[in-house]
Amino acid sequence: MAFAAQAQTGRPTPEQLEFFETRIRPVLAKNCYSCHGANSKSAAGGLFLTTQAALLQGGQSGPAVSPGKPDESLLIKAVRYEGRRMPPAGKLPEAVIADLEKWVAMGAPHARESGTAWTESSIDVAKGRQTWAFQTPRLPASPAVKNGKWSKEIIDRLLLAKMEAKRLTPAPDADKATLLRRVSFDLTGLPPTPADLQAFLNDKRPDAYARLVDRLLASERFGERWGRHWLDVARYAESVGRGRNYVMPVAWRYRDWVIDAFNQDKPYNQFVMEQIAGDLLASTSDKQRDQQLIATAFLSLGSHDLIEQNPQMFRMDVIDEQIHATSKAFLGLTVGCARCHDHKFDPIPTADYYAMAGIFQSTEMLSGLQRRPRDNVSYFNMDLLARLKSVPAEDQPAWMADPLKVEEFNKLLAQINDARNGRFLAMVPVKQRKQMLNATPQQRQQKIRQTVTQLLVQLDRYELPHDLAMAVREGRAADSRIHIKGDPKQLGPSMPRGFVQVASTPGQTGFEIRPNESGRLQLARWLARDDHPLTARVMVNRIWHHLFGRGIVATVDNFGKMGEAPTHPELLDYLAVRFVKQGWSTKKMVREIVLSRAYRMSTAHLERNHNVDPDNNLFWRQNRRRLEVEALRDSLLQIAGKLDLSRPQGSPVFGFRRGFDIGRGAGAQMKDYSVSMNTRSVYVPVVRNFLPAMYEVFDFPEPSEVKGRREVTTVPTQALFLVNSTFAIQQSKRAAEQLLAGNAGASGRERVQRAYREVLAREARADEIEKSLQFLDAIRSEAGAAPDEKTAWARFYQALFASAEFRYRS
Amino acid sequence: MNRRQLLQSLGSGLGYLAFAGMASAAKQGYQSPLAPRAAHFPARAKRVIFLFMQGAPSQHETFDYNPELKAAAEKSNGALIAPAFAFKPSGQSGLPVSELFPNLASHADDLCLLNGMHTDSPAHPQATIQMHTGSFNFVRPSMGAWVVYGLGTENQNLPGFITVNPAALGGATNYGSAFLPASYQGTPYFTRTGKLPNISNPEMAPEQQRKQIDLIQSMNQDYLSRAKQDAEVEGIIESYEMAFRMQSAVPGILDWKSEPAETRKLYGLDNRVTQGFGTQCLLARRLAESGVRFIEVSHGNWDHHNALRQRITQTSAEIDKPIAGLLADLKARGMLQDTLVVWGGEFGRTTNGQNGDGRNHNNRGFTMWMAGAGVKGGMRYGACDPVSGSAVSGKVHLHDLHATILHLMGLDHTRLTYRYGGRDFRLTDVHGNVVKEILG
Repeated sequence: MAFAAQAQTGRPTPEQLEFFETRIRPVLAKNCYSCHGANSKSAAGGLFLTTQAALLQGGQSGPAVSPGKPDESLLIKAVRYEGRRMPPAGKLPEAVIADLEKWVAMGAPHARESGTAWTESSIDVAKGRQTWAFQTPRLPASPAVKNGKWSKEIIDRLLLAKMEAKRLTPAPDADKATLLRRVSFDLTGLPPTPADLQAFLNDKRPDAYARLVDRLLASERFGERWGRHWLDVARYAESVGRGRNYVMPVAWRYRDWVIDAFNQDKPYNQFVMEQIAGDLLASTSDKQRDQQLIATAFLSLGSHDLIEQNPQMFRMDVIDEQIHATSKAFLGLTVGCARCHDHKFDPIPTADYYAMAGIFQSTEMLSGLQRRPRDNVSYFNMDLLARLKSVPAEDQPAWMADPLKVEEFNKLLAQINDARNGRFLAMVPVKQRKQMLNATPQQRQQKIRQTVTQLLVQLDRYELPHDLAMAVREGRAADSRIHIKGDPKQLGPSMPRGFVQVASTPGQTGFEIRPNESGRLQLARWLARDDHPLTARVMVNRIWHHLFGRGIVATVDNFGKMGEAPTHPELLDYLAVRFVKQGWSTKKMVREIVLSRAYRMSTAHLERNHNVDPDNNLFWRQNRRRLEVEALRDSLLQIAGKLDLSRPQGSPVFGFRRGFDIGRGAGAQMKDYSVSMNTRSVYVPVVRNFLPAMYEVFDFPEPSEVKGRREVTTVPTQALFLVNSTFAIQQSKRAAEQLLAGNAGASGRERVQRAYREVLAREARADEIEKSLQFLDAIRSEAGAAPDEKTAWARFYQALFASAEFRYRS
Repeated sequence: MNRRQLLQSLGSGLGYLAFAGMASAAKQGYQSPLAPRAAHFPARAKRVIFLFMQGAPSQHETFDYNPELKAAAEKSNGALIAPAFAFKPSGQSGLPVSELFPNLASHADDLCLLNGMHTDSPAHPQATIQMHTGSFNFVRPSMGAWVVYGLGTENQNLPGFITVNPAALGGATNYGSAFLPASYQGTPYFTRTGKLPNISNPEMAPEQQRKQIDLIQSMNQDYLSRAKQDAEVEGIIESYEMAFRMQSAVPGILDWKSEPAETRKLYGLDNRVTQGFGTQCLLARRLAESGVRFIEVSHGNWDHHNALRQRITQTSAEIDKPIAGLLADLKARGMLQDTLVVWGGEFGRTTNGQNGDGRNHNNRGFTMWMAGAGVKGGMRYGACDPVSGSAVSGKVHLHDLHATILHLMGLDHTRLTYRYGGRDFRLTDVHGNVVKEILG
């Protein structure tokens, strides 16, 4: 009895645990867990043997053990084959049974006995709501400023008031050429052409700048630039990455959807809703239905380890990735931290995590990829993609019009499906079946792999149908149980599906989830509501970040305690309120900010300001910013006259072999598309683990993570790329060719001027022209075979491309 | 001459510093972020060579002699599996080394086995990143970046931190500088391409290219003087000079083919099995000799969930001769006394069997070893429970490992800090104890 008491009240001693770990757990794991373990689909007889609580609770026949009383314990009776006979495969050795008896006599100490019970959270959510980030934004009053003449705009006044409090003065306005280059890069990701420069410098109308801004906002280049910003947040990629890096051949539909959304100025709250629950929103046409469906690829684009052995762990990892991406992208919160324990810093209890997990657990991911199939090769599965309705039959690949080909294709699919699901013998010729039955598991596996690989090679010869899309759909609706310490083997109570409490208004209604719904639709509406404390704030901050080089909250993806506090909370609130009031219009928000005087300031270094605020936290000047790799590449191509502004049909990834891990395949997969394609960089495929070399060198973000703020590094490899790479050399030569062909009679001086306008979007100063001409002369007079004229000018262009001024936007 | 004056002189128009003269810039007081810096206290090691075994090698078949496991396995009804290979007492010290490592066994007296290692995650990506950066929840600077941040590097024509054939898992995070300045990040080098990308100009001779770089630097100088002050622009100016120096210095250093046949044989370059990792180890020695502060070489395929006996025989054969060659070569050149060699994977493997002849992940107990500068040789430190496989004595968390590596480099891990986002960060965060018992 003393033993029993110990099992229920005290912690097991180290010796007891040792005994359990070495003598008992291995026995349970080997002989019992396949039917009574946490991984078994449903415990036989309702009995789990994985925790002490489960042992004591027992199954349909009652408690499995009576601690301290082996003779009365069902488990012991069963292993002795008294009545119930367990394990059914054969009686355990006597020594093992003796160990089990001894263990029950000890009180059945179990490693999972202590410290694993689900404990209620100690987080005070109501108190958490008092933090600024969880309060609904309020419109601030326009502050009083001393220098009222500087600007009447509220954005400017909110900034100026803070500057004045520290006795700082705003930097002078940028000159026109600088402003043109700045706003062109910021809005379209491309430099102004010499013609743009001339037109803007000559436009003396008072609203010349506003007209320029409107023209840029209306250009399709806007969506390509701002769409790419969002793709950083959406961890967009066209392969799954990790252990088995299979392609996502139709991910590009999401990319195009994002670009179109920015070009159409889709209201941001609608943009959010479609990505979470586009498949559940009403539509009035097939086209609209398809577009909304494509948007949900946001939830399917994550990087997952397809080779994960444990299906439950895989499921929870997918859900975790979806929670992580959703909460960081839309809420600026790291809800993912609450998977294993209450959030250490933010008022997010584990319960919130599993409330969201229930939503995604009730959702099926349609990524076209599945976790490890039996054959270990057919990870790509067309059936796991959504079908679009608006693609007409004549747009399908030609083979689909040929009934014979279709039949063959379907036969291949069926055969692969058999192998994938372990119905392998069905596809082996009758003569070989007997031989396969006698084969060792390894031989069998090898044969399966070989056969399926051959089938996949054949299947890959068929172009994929053109009506496929990544998406999600509703699954079996159910709440998720809390996984104690994130362990799928230790389940706590079920959490009703729901949202992050601290960002919810107490008593809010209208978001009730019916039993047969996943709750995604409600989650989407909850995020998109006008009074949400975070949705608008997080997005306007992202916009600000892209226009000023630093967010009002510098950590754009983290509005929690571990993020940085806003430097201008009132300004952030103003922008958020304004954003919602203007119908969540991104273009209107961008327009208002770039028209502010603050945006138009120069990057001038003011010593007095600098001494007080060296990091420019108060935005007393514009920030000089490095061009991203896309802007750099697109600029080079544009200046070389090679930039193709049309949108490519889909992506080269669509034609990649689907049946093979990228990296094992050769040819198409390994090509550097940043060099071979002349389209804008946003259309260059993003293949995980195989980013183009240029992208790696110039800080392209890791596409498995939500990354609203890119790193900016300065390393010699960037310098080496600009002075030595074939790409840089080629664009320099093309630019030189154009220059020389453009105006045959132009003087060297005029040509230098032209090159400065093309590359730096400004007039060259006299000393710069002199220096340039000297350089050209020096090249021409090189000893030996002196380079020709084109080469001399190419080297000059390359120097401009490599210059710090070109690599920045001021 | 201070940094600013030097940068200005680069674009003075009176003839920029000739490219040959750039090497002497250091003598004129020019402070590169990579310039050598004094350690906190006298260092035992000047440089580190980290041999990273991705996939998590089984300690039971390599460097953790565990005879009790055999007995336990026999009684375990198949749950546990016995070590698949015999161990032999090796060297003067009699250190038990698995028969899989006949060559390395001859260096037993230099090895300090850490048999009580443990880490936080049993998943490859997380554990790999934590092994390199101390953290897997957040992007943090790599151990190599911290070392170069702390000490600078000895050869200004080379990156201070080079990683040869880095593991794909974790990618650039494993050698990234995170919030530390980018000059401290690792430069990846892949033996399959045989050169660093863009390391030479396909069309211009260096003298021709110097003219172009002078023009670039003069434009940059103008830009900087108009900006008045901008550390980033200064960094760009510096990056061109470093790039120029790199391209003249690097090809010679990477040319391992210039080594005499005898040396190549020592590393197993004459054998298909050992050629790949042998080349990496030989490169590591060349880089070490050239003054690179932190060198990592990676080897993969240690994730033996099944067919362990066959697969670990193969992977061990691939590294045994090359590592033995590296230790012998370092010793012969008198470099082992100030080079710290560290071997290990992201975690270890279970005593339990899996898929018949295989072992699962075990982060609660595993083995790494050190050799060379400042560590005791012929020694086992720490132990795991022979049956559960968890570290029980002489436990060394990888934070402790990091603290110890820094200590051997003359750095106090609690003082090597960087202020970022409002607080001071360290490689070991708030953890880490130097393992004093293994210091020679």
